[in-house]
Amino acid sequence: MLAAGAHISKEKDLNAHIEAFVAQIKRRQIQGSYNVALATSQLLLRVVSAARWTHVDQLVTQIKVLGKRLQSAQPRELACGNIIRRVLALIREESEDTNDSESGDGAINSPLITSMFSLLSTNDEYGPNRQSQSLCDGTGRSIKKDLKPYIIEGIQELIDELRSIDESIASMGVEMIHENETILTPTPNSRTVLKFLLRTAQKRKFTVLVVEVFPNDVEKTHEFALKLAEAGIETTVITDAMVYSIMGRVGKVILGTHAVLANGGLLASAGAAMICQCANVHRTPVVVCTGLYKLSPMYPFDIESLIEVGDTGKVLEFEDGSLVDKVNVVNPLYDYVPPESVDLCITNMGGYSPNFMYRLVLDHYRQEDTTL
Amino acid sequence: MALSETTSLPVPADSVASNGFDIVATYRRFLQEDPDMTMPVAAIESLVVLLSQTEPTTASELMDILAKAVAELKKGVKNSISLSAGCDMFQRFVLRNIQEYGDWEACRRHLVKNGGLFLERAKASRYKIAELGLPFIQDDDTILIHSHSRAVTELLLLAARRHIRFSVFVTESRPTEEGLSSAKTLRDHGIPVRVIVDGAVGWAIQKVDKVFVGAEGVAESGGIINRVGTYQIAVLAKDSNKPLYVVAESHKFVRLFPLSPFDLPDESPAASTFTTEQEDDEIQSSPLLDFTSDNLITALITDIGVLTSSGVSEELIKMWYD
Repeated sequence: MLAAGAHISKEKDLNAHIEAFVAQIKRRQIQGSYNVALATSQLLLRVVSAARWTHVDQLVTQIKVLGKRLQSAQPRELACGNIIRRVLALIREESEDTNDSESGDGAINSPLITSMFSLLSTNDEYGPNRQSQSLCDGTGRSIKKDLKPYIIEGIQELIDELRSIDESIASMGVEMIHENETILTPTPNSRTVLKFLLRTAQKRKFTVLVVEVFPNDVEKTHEFALKLAEAGIETTVITDAMVYSIMGRVGKVILGTHAVLANGGLLASAGAAMICQCANVHRTPVVVCTGLYKLSPMYPFDIESLIEVGDTGKVLEFEDGSLVDKVNVVNPLYDYVPPESVDLCITNMGGYSPNFMYRLVLDHYRQEDTTL
Repeated sequence: MALSETTSLPVPADSVASNGFDIVATYRRFLQEDPDMTMPVAAIESLVVLLSQTEPTTASELMDILAKAVAELKKGVKNSISLSAGCDMFQRFVLRNIQEYGDWEACRRHLVKNGGLFLERAKASRYKIAELGLPFIQDDDTILIHSHSRAVTELLLLAARRHIRFSVFVTESRPTEEGLSSAKTLRDHGIPVRVIVDGAVGWAIQKVDKVFVGAEGVAESGGIINRVGTYQIAVLAKDSNKPLYVVAESHKFVRLFPLSPFDLPDESPAASTFTTEQEDDEIQSSPLLDFTSDNLITALITDIGVLTSSGVSEELIKMWYD
């Protein structure tokens, strides 16, 4: 009796926690892909620890339901859905591993069509299965593996990966930036880019042009430029309008991003698409620094629905008076950068061409989880 | 899936000639009897029928029989690119199983027993493609399709069943005029269609939101071999910045690397000769296929996922060099 009571109160506790999390992402108290990803994985850690299930499918359904709820709370923070999908893939993988060693049970999961041969092959009696089956039959069934510790361990690893992500990206900086090169960065709100530049500055001497990104990131630009200058990097802040004229002198455009989509396209801060176009015209390489947690299995079917519109007061203040009721003012926060505009994506797994992103998606997420 | 059930296909009667087995006739028969069957699958099924009627005594004899039949089939059928994808995959599959497990007799029995299953799977993969491609179609879209493709039709019909409202431009696609049959199927299912002549694509392209085409074969580069006219549509789509999606089953991936239509097996040599005389059947001798290079294709919607063109070579490499 007592144990059951304790369980109920624990569940209540968890529900309150989920509620609080949903409210926080709705109110944007947790903002930015990294923070959202970290918070989501920590929430999932709690959910999985508290969850009870008899079959692993129940856990998958529970997490899918939670994922749906989180995603509808803040549909444009794609990192949240990405982490949920990563964890779902983890759970499925763990459960398939156990099923494999449990002989006959493996056949219940119908084979996924993953490669061209799947048209011809079957998992019936011929082939290698026959042997392993007879080996396992005697012993396999008695060991029923408890998945929970393995899943929790997997999520812990995911959190560790998130924490060390900027480091592993930054370590590639020396290969990317030459001595005395001029770098232009249009995303001063990116932690990844900041760490990338600071780390590289320990080995290389280079110039950074920081684009102001009016009106959303002006203050952040100044902070960003200050941090670079303090580290001894020659830094110049330029206005958005100057980008085209200065592009001829730029060696590389390095940008951070809000999300990477399955086709290799980016959702980056507003203005990035235009700057990438300028770079393309000048044949200046465009390099994107991104953690894998930003990689979304979504395809940009409807670009407009992905772009968030922000505070118009930053463009035209209400005190500006007479104009306010006569003009329409919009302030989109993101830009969609098509994959053709990007030359290289540096992730914590290494550098990849944008048209290779679909492969990373297939490696890290399961197709059945693409729609939560 | 009931894997244990025997699902072999009925063998077309006239293909079992007394003196031997006519693979080309079997292949033709399969295609004729089931309009939903694609050429690679018909080729695979014909090879399965062949296996069921021969009793090879060694593994190399088995491979030899297959190789001969494939050569005969490729020679006997005019448009052999698509079917060669199925043949290559089949031969490779048999070879790999023999190498890995050494039990070629079991492999043969397995293939013969599951003849019908492959066909079912091939059809199921088309449905899977439709599911994967569904989000590409949205309300109010104007879609351009070319000629007739089973995979594209399946996708559009699914979208209509899911109550997405869209309209479709269908090209007539001379000289086969297969576009007319696409138009009929779509209209029968309540999708508003406008048939245009091939020359009117340039006129229509600005009104089009996206282009869907099928493929006879998908080359290693990710480019496609398809009904003539696809290339010019792709160029127009690229020029006006419209996405072009290829909808095709992964069993159509073929190990060819053409750079232009002239690298394909030449089926209508008369088309590239010139004459000062008036010819009666000039239109009939015009080419039926062209090659659309990968840089014009936005994405390939296949049963193994939505791929960029580089994904095709990866799949082929997995199959041939792993």
